[in-house]
Amino acid sequence: MSTASSGFKLSEWIFTTDHKRIGILYLIGSIAAFAVAGIMALLIRIEQSAPGPTIVSDAFTGGDQYNVWLYFHGAAMILGFLIPGLTGFAANYLLPLMIGAKDVAFPRINALSVWLFWAGIVVALLTFIVPDKPDIMWTGYPPYSVNTAGNTALYVFTVHLMGFSSILAAVNFLVTIIYMRAPGMGWNQLNMFVWSCFTALIIQLIFVPVLASAVTLLLFDRYLGTHFFDPANGGDVLLYQNLFWFYSHPAVYVIFLPAMGIFYEIFATMAKNPIFNYKAAVYGGMCFIVLISGEVWVHHLYYSGMPDWLRIGQMVTTLMISVPVGLMTISLFGTLYKGAITFNIPMYYGTAALYLLLIGGLTGIPLAMTVMSVHLGETSFTHAHFHFIMGIFATFAVFAGVDFWFPKISGKMLNVSQGKLGFWFNFIGVNITFWPLFIIGVEGMPRRYWDYSQFPAHFAGYHKVATIGAFIVAIGMVLTISNWIISAIKGEKAPNNPWGSNSLEWTHTATPPGPGNFPKPVTVDADWTPYNYK
Amino acid sequence: MSNAASAHAHAHHWETSAAPMLIVGGVLFSVVFGFVSWFSYSNILWTQICAGIGVPLLLAGIAIWTAEALTQKPVMEGLTPIALPFFIVSEVFIFMGIFASYWTMRLSAGPNWPPAGTPTDMNLVLPIIMTIILVSSSATYHIAEEKIKHSDLGGFRLWLLISIVLGAIFLGCTIYEYQHLFHMNFKPSTNAYSTAFYSITGFHASHVVVGLGSFLTVLIAAMAGRTNKYLTFCVGLYWHFVDVVWFFVVSQVYYW
Repeated sequence: MSTASSGFKLSEWIFTTDHKRIGILYLIGSIAAFAVAGIMALLIRIEQSAPGPTIVSDAFTGGDQYNVWLYFHGAAMILGFLIPGLTGFAANYLLPLMIGAKDVAFPRINALSVWLFWAGIVVALLTFIVPDKPDIMWTGYPPYSVNTAGNTALYVFTVHLMGFSSILAAVNFLVTIIYMRAPGMGWNQLNMFVWSCFTALIIQLIFVPVLASAVTLLLFDRYLGTHFFDPANGGDVLLYQNLFWFYSHPAVYVIFLPAMGIFYEIFATMAKNPIFNYKAAVYGGMCFIVLISGEVWVHHLYYSGMPDWLRIGQMVTTLMISVPVGLMTISLFGTLYKGAITFNIPMYYGTAALYLLLIGGLTGIPLAMTVMSVHLGETSFTHAHFHFIMGIFATFAVFAGVDFWFPKISGKMLNVSQGKLGFWFNFIGVNITFWPLFIIGVEGMPRRYWDYSQFPAHFAGYHKVATIGAFIVAIGMVLTISNWIISAIKGEKAPNNPWGSNSLEWTHTATPPGPGNFPKPVTVDADWTPYNYK
Repeated sequence: MSNAASAHAHAHHWETSAAPMLIVGGVLFSVVFGFVSWFSYSNILWTQICAGIGVPLLLAGIAIWTAEALTQKPVMEGLTPIALPFFIVSEVFIFMGIFASYWTMRLSAGPNWPPAGTPTDMNLVLPIIMTIILVSSSATYHIAEEKIKHSDLGGFRLWLLISIVLGAIFLGCTIYEYQHLFHMNFKPSTNAYSTAFYSITGFHASHVVVGLGSFLTVLIAAMAGRTNKYLTFCVGLYWHFVDVVWFFVVSQVYYW
């Protein structure tokens, strides 16, 4: 086996161009971002636990302090945790292994991607050092972002660094998937996770640059005095919102698709079943999402003003998204059908994901419909909806993925009881946090407000429950993440293929895989699939 | 390291490269910290320090990267010319975002275009000259590529140098034009047209700078006698792309 250089050498980690180690560097960075952004979430929840100033210093500057937490929570969770956790960590570690390649096409560019991402984290963390903290949410809408005293440049550069990292990773992995599959591996023999990343990366490649252009123009407006988003001088405020959501709605699928991909892998392996309706899920589900992902962004602007015919059109395209998502969900359920299911930690998260998908998906339908959206859109109903479908669903995917591939990555088994305890805290906590927000959302609790004294008094009770839920989640997160660290150091030694999977990363590599991945080059037969369990 | 040795080493060592981290460090200091020091905190000393740290890091990173790319065996031969078009797709969308913003302003202005503050006697001859220069530089680079295909390293260096000089003249024209317009009090903040004008031409010029930088890298390597057909193809393709974008810039920004 290929473990010539034994022991830990720092230079082999920080200068590494190996996709597996780069994947782990992505994981460390994204978990760090997740932890800090999670603390921001707790601050937000504590502030909301009672009307009026709770931990902000006073009613006059409270909004400014609260805005910084909102900014960091949103920006770091999406740009620093979810996207790098899925298309960074998971794609890096697994794609070359799943397609039987010894590395990605351009290992140095891969290293460039991960350090650009880390640089983005550094710039984001400067928020807590600079006096003029960015306070513009993760969206950075003008005119506020142009006029604020907060440091818009830090926001823009965070987006630039993370965005450039994403674009390079997309180029790298698309070329890898297209040209470096093991001899004999056809497109219909790919792992679902490979397909999900392939489609997500196409979205990245096309849409991230548009976000980059939007924030660049924002930078020009703020610091060079141009007028792109300044209606007084021939610009257009809504232009920014259009450019921003032209990327940021598809970004939801950049997160959603690999998350689904991870659950497909777990379900097929744990149920020992082939993927139900593979081709429908791949071509009708994933590929169709790529096609229509760029035609729905305007639903984020329902309240910003637009002609009615456009609202109706956007309602139709937005509802149309449920068709491919439905196909994918059916195939997820179908994969379990008549399976001999092994219920372990990844499968716990997988089962929870089915529930999250259902609640998050169904609450999205009223939000897509303009008549209901007018009432619900800017309330905490939306807040709870996208936390269910995007925040928690995708976070659970990252956790399930780490737990599932943990034996391969670390060579050790996870501590099962701590993992399960962490799961239950996480799962119960998120429900206690977000169900109250659905309820008061319907009653009219606005999003983003730090103070709700002017709203009905009983809102405070719901907010208190939600805050308690957030702390339960925090305990679950600490249990989960500390379990990874402790088990990686002194866990039980893992067998080569503990789940009995048929996928190449389990069957053809050492545990953990060494440099060059495969002891000898991989070829596959025409009837090989990663899900050939019968 | 010979090819056989490096192929053997590939399976038994964790591959490393310091170049990516140096480049990211360089970008972080020279671009991000430099910009923030200058624009957010108006601190000239800090800007100088950041540039002083960042630029050498960036150059060292590029140098090491190029040296490694020219000497080491890639994971799979011949993928670079395939990957660059993917990256160019991305670039196209950046330009689309900016052009779309310009079109939005332009179309919503209706007949009130160009807005007040725009000089009535914009120089419309210079852009034609610049177009000729840029197109010629694409042509001269094509000649350079033909030379290297016939293993004429001397001819390659010469025509590459000519392309670089033409590109530099193009940038000089941009600087001259900017200075001229600034004297006429036409600045980025003047009106909607100046906003679009400086953003689009400036963004294009920044791509010319990147193209010239990659030309220089290839030239320095060629001076040391090292070339790589994929690298020469890719820098050429990028340059042609920058050339094509210029046609959109000229037609949309100057003559519409």
